[in-house]
Amino acid sequence: MTQRQTSRFVRLGLPVLMMLGLVVAANPALALEENVYRQFLGIDSRRLVWFLAQMHLFFGAFVLGVPLFAVIIEIVGWNNKDPKFDKLAYEFTSLLSVAYATTAALGGLLAFALFTLYPTFMGYMAGIFKDVMFMYALLFFGETFALYLYYYGWHWLKSDHPFALNLQWVFKGLGIVVAAFGLAFAVGAVGPEMRVDTRWFMLLLYILPLAIGLWMIRDLKSSHIFIGILLNIFGTAIMQLANSWAGFMMSPAGVGGDGAFVGTVWQAFENVLATPIAIHRMLGNLAFGGLVAGSYAAVKFIGAKTPEEKAHYDWMGYISNFVAIAALIPLPFAGYYLGREVYSTSAVMGNNMMGGDFSWTFIIQAMLVGSLFIISNYYLWSGMTRIPGAERYYKFIKYILLALIVSFAIWLTPHNLPLSSQEVGEMGGSQYHPMLKYLGLMPAKNAVVNLIILATFFSFLLYRRGNMVDSVSIRDQGKGARITIVIVGLAAIALVAQYAVTMLNMDPAELDLPADRAEYIRMVGYLLVFECAVGLIAIVLALIDRGKLGQGLYLAVTAFNVTISLGVWGFVVMEKASPVLRNVAVSQFLQLISCLILVAVIDAFLFKRAKSLGKIKWGKMTVRSQYALLLLTFIITMNMGLMGFIRSGLRGDWHIFGVMRDTSEWAYTPSNFVMTQQVSAAVLLFMIGCAFMFWLGGIASSNKEE
Amino acid sequence: MTATMTRVFSFLLVVLAVYLWIGYSITELTGGGRESGGAVDISPEGGEAIYWGKGRCFTCHSVGGQGSAVRGPNHGQFGEKFPLPMGARAVERAKERSEKEGTDFTAVDYMVESLASPGAYVVKGYKNEMAVVYAPPISLSLVEIKAVVAYLMALGGDLDMEAIDTTPSEETQKFYAKISAAAAAGGGDPGEGAIIYEDNCTDCHTLNGEGGEVGPDLTGISAKGLKFISESILQPAKSLTKGFETYVAINKEGRQTIGLKTRDEATEIDITKANGDVVTIAKEDIKEIKIDETKSVMPDDLAEALTVKDYQDILSFLMLQKPQAAR
Repeated sequence: MTQRQTSRFVRLGLPVLMMLGLVVAANPALALEENVYRQFLGIDSRRLVWFLAQMHLFFGAFVLGVPLFAVIIEIVGWNNKDPKFDKLAYEFTSLLSVAYATTAALGGLLAFALFTLYPTFMGYMAGIFKDVMFMYALLFFGETFALYLYYYGWHWLKSDHPFALNLQWVFKGLGIVVAAFGLAFAVGAVGPEMRVDTRWFMLLLYILPLAIGLWMIRDLKSSHIFIGILLNIFGTAIMQLANSWAGFMMSPAGVGGDGAFVGTVWQAFENVLATPIAIHRMLGNLAFGGLVAGSYAAVKFIGAKTPEEKAHYDWMGYISNFVAIAALIPLPFAGYYLGREVYSTSAVMGNNMMGGDFSWTFIIQAMLVGSLFIISNYYLWSGMTRIPGAERYYKFIKYILLALIVSFAIWLTPHNLPLSSQEVGEMGGSQYHPMLKYLGLMPAKNAVVNLIILATFFSFLLYRRGNMVDSVSIRDQGKGARITIVIVGLAAIALVAQYAVTMLNMDPAELDLPADRAEYIRMVGYLLVFECAVGLIAIVLALIDRGKLGQGLYLAVTAFNVTISLGVWGFVVMEKASPVLRNVAVSQFLQLISCLILVAVIDAFLFKRAKSLGKIKWGKMTVRSQYALLLLTFIITMNMGLMGFIRSGLRGDWHIFGVMRDTSEWAYTPSNFVMTQQVSAAVLLFMIGCAFMFWLGGIASSNKEE
Repeated sequence: MTATMTRVFSFLLVVLAVYLWIGYSITELTGGGRESGGAVDISPEGGEAIYWGKGRCFTCHSVGGQGSAVRGPNHGQFGEKFPLPMGARAVERAKERSEKEGTDFTAVDYMVESLASPGAYVVKGYKNEMAVVYAPPISLSLVEIKAVVAYLMALGGDLDMEAIDTTPSEETQKFYAKISAAAAAGGGDPGEGAIIYEDNCTDCHTLNGEGGEVGPDLTGISAKGLKFISESILQPAKSLTKGFETYVAINKEGRQTIGLKTRDEATEIDITKANGDVVTIAKEDIKEIKIDETKSVMPDDLAEALTVKDYQDILSFLMLQKPQAAR
């Protein structure tokens, strides 16, 4: 390690150590005392903490998101022996180095601000989470080591000369041990009391990648990939620990009747909202990291001097956008799950979210999310101009655009409108518009968000097929192709099938409904069975070389089921058996995911080694499309700030909901205008920070080239 | 690169300007920004600050064209449905009520009742779903509630500060007592508290002639004060009621039976255990019987079983249990 690297490491470690000092002084009994608030230079403490937290989260999301896809891209390059991907993964990682130090510095600043300005609140929190905070600090060291080893060891660990067979088997053996532990963990043999979502989060994001990473090790390069996997595990764990604090503030667990903490650290850590927040944030970070890296590529593209540079950064922007869209697709469902859990935790918080203080904030959010999808589609369509032969599919774009715009309009229609007395009189005395009021309800929103995702997926399919002459025979591709389609297809169908069984057997009493409401649940079950049957037909059609028909059939039926059938049924259910609405939403999501998986796997083989009409002309993109990429980054950053405002604001006048009241002069919900001011300032500073980081990265790489 | 960055940041500033404009427009459209409630006095201005701030009334109600919420009735003059503002409406409704019931029900009584017992009168076309404003998470104090009443009464009605604050009617006093009791108990919701009581306490305690007899009769328990009730829930052994001491009977074989001594005859005694089982023990079999002052038959882990809100709810419910004569 060079002296520069050592001093950077020391600089990173200092805030952590100092924060731990503050933690040691914590006291969980402080909830019973009067809250103490302080100010720094007369600044509104809440706004200061809000701003610092937002900045820390922006940089943190970038630092957590980028390694996720950097490792994936590295694996793709390693597997295909394509150095282009490896170079790209390294370029993404190079962006991390400065961002990581900035994240740590902001984290230290945030911790100091919290401990000094909100001493009672933080004393209470640190008293409860003392152990978790120590673990956080240790993981932070782990992440630091992993990151620097991953980045600085890139060229050192590039050899693909295989290790001795014995050593390879040691790693494989360790992988098997971890996998076996994972199996025991999955079936509940370890931590039987653990929440299902927490268990699967840990299984899929810690244990499984660790097992796969160990199994993969066979040379220095795969060891490097393993370090990348470790880096992600450390990063995700850090995020999960910090999320447990945010979750606890909304859904405290283990707190006794008089406000004193009587539970265990695990209870507090595994509070109801901790994992739903972590899942949402995980996907959000991936999309965010992808788009920030995409904006780097866009800026480089705009300023590129040579066709080679343009081609490289065009490709980089495409990959980044692809990663972001992949994470964006399940994000609305993770959001729905989080919202549902918020509502289950407290109806007051739930009502405040969609129908109270934040109802109009959600309209802004709908505008932003809708824009994200429309602009992503625009970027894909722009990308088709660089694909020879893609003009054959231009005719579909107007229909996709129409579907997106109609869906977008419905997505952001509020349930009721702020009207004048005269306008209400003209509408027959009701503040609800006779037709638009239905578009403002959840069934309509759920229906159109599914259509938006399907439309985006359809754009992607067109993009993929752009330069392919025609599909190829799956039968001629041997057993491997057919077996893969059958296995993946059946797994996708199983997702739907298991929920169909649940719906067909569910006792209405489980949802506090009388027995005669069973038909509203069963109907959903029958529809899912139908979806499964069509899925099976699609598989069979693919196997007999009618793959396109199978894809079209499954896409059409899924679109009809999730948008029309369950969209309309959602209204019926809302009227007659409203608790079933959440099951309707889950069934829509499962059908959609199943469709995406099955159609994608058929497509992969349908166009595998298909004749090409010419190579993609990377770099042949309009500058306008690069601004679209930049706009995506700006919007997702603004949206992250907005969602943070909602999540934190839902607690109302409570530091810890129902346990510790906010008695400061800032205990009120700021307006949407204040929110946009605060978020805009953070976005601007973050973007300036990014520009600075990218500039530094550029200097570093030009120094290396020299 | 400088030119590129200039273009990119100019673009960003345009995007942020649009974002700010949206935030500004929506804030204006929905009734303007809110400020901290802070300490308020009992006045229409104080009430207005609470209404649009800490009280979160704007979440469900609008006042004329101010605000956009429609879940609850509009409190201003608005369209054909609301020809009168809230103050004037309260006068009308109180008059109707007085004529119907033959009582002297005032506009202030009506308004205070709407906040203390929102389900007592539900406006046609709306659901009985108003939050208890003196319970968490809103938890308005009595002063703040009086201020809101003053604000609403000032909307087209006769603002009578004496009736609101200094010399309230008997009816209003009754509601104020209810709010004070709930506020004293940490701002619990007595309605929710009644449900929790039914689920957890009825089997052992009698209340107004109903319930089990394992524990003390809780009729009129509020007279014992908040501290006693609170302590009895969290540390039952610390404040044992006479006659409900915990006995430990040890027979000649050394087996212990712990519970209340519910019968004491010449030859045998009954010990009622915490689970309600009654054990009859012959006196000749008893080696030793003593009172254990460190134990109560009542579960001592309620602090862990109840959430903060449950605890506040049940406290507020018990604080409303006035002695029979005082009702």
